[in-house]
Amino acid sequence: MKQIQMNKNPSFSLISTKKIIQMNNISTSYDSKSFALKGINMSIERGTNYAVVGQSGSGKSTLLKLMNGMMIPSNGTIKIDYVTPKMNDKKFKKMMHTIGYIPQNLGLVKNITVLENILIGALPRIGKISSLFKKFPKEELDEAKRILNLVGLGNKESRKAYMLSGGEKRRVAIARALMQKPTILLADEIVSELDHVTAREIMNLIADAQKTMNLTAIMVHHDMQLALEYADRVAVIKEGEKVLEIGVEGDTIVDFQTGDMDIEEIMETYADDSKK
Amino acid sequence: MTPKNNIVIGIIVALVVIASYNMDADPVKFFEGLPNLGIILEEVILVEPKYIPTALWAMFETIQMAFIGTAVGVAISLPLSMLAARNLNSKFVYAPIRALLAAMRTFPSILWALLFVIMVGSGSFAGILAIIMYTIGFIAKLQYETIETIDSDPMDAVDSIGVSKSQLIRYVVIPESASHLLSQILYMFDYNVRQTSILGLVGAGGIGFYIINYIKFFEYGKAAIFMLIVLITVLVIDWASVKIRDKFIIKSQHGMEISSN
Repeated sequence: MKQIQMNKNPSFSLISTKKIIQMNNISTSYDSKSFALKGINMSIERGTNYAVVGQSGSGKSTLLKLMNGMMIPSNGTIKIDYVTPKMNDKKFKKMMHTIGYIPQNLGLVKNITVLENILIGALPRIGKISSLFKKFPKEELDEAKRILNLVGLGNKESRKAYMLSGGEKRRVAIARALMQKPTILLADEIVSELDHVTAREIMNLIADAQKTMNLTAIMVHHDMQLALEYADRVAVIKEGEKVLEIGVEGDTIVDFQTGDMDIEEIMETYADDSKK
Repeated sequence: MTPKNNIVIGIIVALVVIASYNMDADPVKFFEGLPNLGIILEEVILVEPKYIPTALWAMFETIQMAFIGTAVGVAISLPLSMLAARNLNSKFVYAPIRALLAAMRTFPSILWALLFVIMVGSGSFAGILAIIMYTIGFIAKLQYETIETIDSDPMDAVDSIGVSKSQLIRYVVIPESASHLLSQILYMFDYNVRQTSILGLVGAGGIGFYIINYIKFFEYGKAAIFMLIVLITVLVIDWASVKIRDKFIIKSQHGMEISSN
């Protein structure tokens, strides 16, 4: 078993305890595109780096889609900053502008440039007419270039998105989300197809952004070790149910359902989950 | 070949035979008529070359008509196809637009031409209007079907940012479907040149006006020269559009394949 490195934000417990995401007894019914969730309770504090771990098909992607309003639960209530997420709802639409969502397949527009992909994150702030002519204010262009450098793609701004490597595409997707000036970042298995080194580079990038921007990050993984390494809290989803929620504070791990638990034990119990 | 397939093929062959009998379609007559083509060929050889400049000029006029008709038709059809795409609109928007487009497609261009000859008099303008109408109905259908097949991942991802519909179209729909749309516009122009060539039959301008009049007066040779010019033009346009497609479209599609990791 590899040594778990704790990569924590020590000030986490000092940040205001305001809950930014509240889920009460959430259930979704099964359809061909999503997986059913059963009675999920979850409450996430502002500024947390939260991880959701589970096998493919356990319903973890559905959880993210509930948080950005792309899906509506069949039962239970969900509140994002006290607003119910619903895509066509006017009140929530404003919040969507600052919820960065990175789907598993990234959802980049292949035939436009890296810079244009990133500027998409700024579109809600730009006048409709000028955005149709791809005219952006100087401060937005500067911000986009700053973020490009931050994600390490400073020299590739005019490359078409389809020409990038897998790791680079993920950086563009992160940059697009950061361009939204997000308060919440939702990322669905963003590193699961990458090699170890690149995966950690991407995770560090998000961890840094999360700290400096005081983001609430909710990231879905199927690798338990990666989740423990970066997250303040880890929820484990199995067949649509939350079976475990552990907090990682300093070097200790707290199980909120059964009391204290040993890292080794958790790793052994959920090791299978990390290998699909 | 399964027995079931054999039965299906047998039924189709039987239907063709029965329908041919009903239609008075006799293959023997076709072969008996072949020598008549020789008469036309003979006349073509005897036609003086002085008609060729007239034919070329008429062809040029035809291409102009097709060009204007295609350009204006596409300009109108593009916004309509955005409204008709199911992945961008609610049923209340796309259903009536689709019905309108279907109605426009119901008339072949020659019927539109007849209608416009009555409205604005005979000449090329009636032909241009006919091409515009037909182009809208035809290409809008191709376009909204293309838009509906674009990848839903970038659509969902960008939509979840809460951008406006016009921004979604500008930043996702158009870039993701541009190569297909361009290909369809080239095809439409090619198709419209051929269509415009026959609109002269109802007095709506273009080279067809000459062809129909020569045929009426049994001047098959002259008619054939004009038809030959149409054939050459269509082949040239076909060749050119293949070149354009190779240069701009195949390249970008190839790029998309590389990208899929």
